[in-house]
Amino acid sequence: MNVGNWLALGGAAIVALAAVAALRRRITATASGRRFFRHPTAVPGLFVLAFFVTIAIAAPVVAPYPPYFQIDITNPDLPPSTQFLLGTDPYSRDVWSRLVYGARVSLGIGAVAMLVAATIGTAVGAVAGYFRRWVDTALMRLVDVGLAMPRIFVLLMAVALWEHIALWVLVLLIGLTGWFGTSRLVRAEVLSLRERDFVAAARAAGAGSGRVIFRHVLPNAAGPIIVSAALGIGNMMLLEAGLSFLGLGVPPPAPSWGNMIADGWHKMTVAWWASTFPGLAISLVVMAFNALGDALRDALDPRRAGEEGGEGGGAA
Amino acid sequence: MATWLVRRLAASIAIVFAVVTITFFVIHAAPGSPFLPAESQHLTPETLRRLSTEFGLDRSLPEQYLLFLRNVVRGNLGQSFALRRPVADALADAIPNTFTLALAALIIDFALGLALGIYQAVRAGRVGDVVSGNGALLVNSMPVFWLGLVLLLVFGQWLRWAPVGGLSNPVLCPRLDSPACGLDFLWHLTLPALTLGLVGAASTARYQRAAMLEVIRQDFVRTARAKGLRERRVLLVHALRNALLPVITLFGLAFPFLFTGAVLVETVFAWPGMGRLAVNAIFQRDYPVVTGAALLTSAMVVLGNLIADVLYAVADPRIRVRSETA
Repeated sequence: MNVGNWLALGGAAIVALAAVAALRRRITATASGRRFFRHPTAVPGLFVLAFFVTIAIAAPVVAPYPPYFQIDITNPDLPPSTQFLLGTDPYSRDVWSRLVYGARVSLGIGAVAMLVAATIGTAVGAVAGYFRRWVDTALMRLVDVGLAMPRIFVLLMAVALWEHIALWVLVLLIGLTGWFGTSRLVRAEVLSLRERDFVAAARAAGAGSGRVIFRHVLPNAAGPIIVSAALGIGNMMLLEAGLSFLGLGVPPPAPSWGNMIADGWHKMTVAWWASTFPGLAISLVVMAFNALGDALRDALDPRRAGEEGGEGGGAA
Repeated sequence: MATWLVRRLAASIAIVFAVVTITFFVIHAAPGSPFLPAESQHLTPETLRRLSTEFGLDRSLPEQYLLFLRNVVRGNLGQSFALRRPVADALADAIPNTFTLALAALIIDFALGLALGIYQAVRAGRVGDVVSGNGALLVNSMPVFWLGLVLLLVFGQWLRWAPVGGLSNPVLCPRLDSPACGLDFLWHLTLPALTLGLVGAASTARYQRAAMLEVIRQDFVRTARAKGLRERRVLLVHALRNALLPVITLFGLAFPFLFTGAVLVETVFAWPGMGRLAVNAIFQRDYPVVTGAALLTSAMVVLGNLIADVLYAVADPRIRVRSETA
């Protein structure tokens, strides 16, 4: 770590703080925004995420070494010091630098996989809940099967059997096996929304099914979807870490946090830092997502909206 | 209740059937074969053909599938390619280990989770609640295998309080045939069970706290207090009994977590259970073992949900009535 890196790190912290403050100013204008920020874990959670996103974007300045750079292969496993903030790993790569670049990989995988899962889950849930009858039955039986599948087995099988799987395929697979819970949630929401007067009004005005679903029903179901997405990203990241740990996730030497734990695992007794810090990073980020999910749930739950006069429910 | 149970049971079997079918076709659709690359294993074409015939791999896929189904119904899960023994035997060796681990973890999960949840609800908003609540959130966010590694490092390597892996001491206790070896087994069980149990307890506590808070606000709790009952009795008898209902759902949810968690935890602690068996089988393309393990795991998950539903119906009369009219 040289002076530039330290300055960049401090800068990242300030940027993250500023981002949280700006967000706070923007959204405390609404009642649910105030409820969100009143939650004790909302600000710390947002800060942790903003911080990791900032260092992920600014990786080249925050990290003193490139992620694959092997400093001195004859002399690996150096303990944390001022030069190597979090030590070096068994391949003599700087753990801090890999952690910083790894934020790109791990956060990116979590976000994209969640996007895939939330999209499919919302679509399936909306179709099942809106059209009911045999469509609903068929889709929900499919969801039952999906939820009973040992997910990690299925992913392991897919990855192990297809060999040399591309990263985007892995992300897609994680997303494709993660939408079952969301779809149940959305279906329940849509089932109750479709009976409301404003939906009947929209239908009476001649809106087709697609328009009613996208313009009238789904916007009112956004709350639970957002909450489950926030909680889901954490799960996606944990899953990626688990797969990478078994050697079947992100192909090495890419610095995903799960890969880093796997790299340091077998030399844990000599160099505890190589596996410990990436695990800590995962725990922190997943915790931040969980904390945000909790705060969002409190803020967006219409039943709690009454606690601060008004909002919630209503027309599209 | 009886017709509901029969219907639920039929649905459960259908789900397991679907999972097994999907697993079967996913594996067989994948490129590669268990006997490849042939060059590296010095297999002649004749040997390869003989092996394929022996394991039925030369037949068409639908044929293999029907054969597989017929065998499963008869309780025959086929022959493992890599282990050279019946899949049912290999699974039978591994299952007790996974069950013991899961059971121990489940006990830690609920004992610790319930106690912590009740404590947090009673002290809601105070220091103890906030500190333990955030602690639980953190543990709940940890990758379970990483927590295992850290516990292993601290208690196994640095403090040397616990062994670093395996079922039992391979020299002194190769078989569990004496009380001392039983203790040795328990000692080896501690860290893996604690790893799974702690992560589970963290989420159980979060649910239990919410459920308890919900109940404490209700009128009958105020009535109980007004009657002059001691606070302890109000909380632990009147409130807790009602706050336990949501926990039954958690019990159903714990099964998938325990079995997927076991895959990773067993790997970390070299615990010879089903998860490790399955992971090794996946690496070796040992189709029959993988399908067998998938069959068992999904059956466990479905069974867990079924048990939770039944318990729920037994515990909550409102649900029973609803399911009978439906």
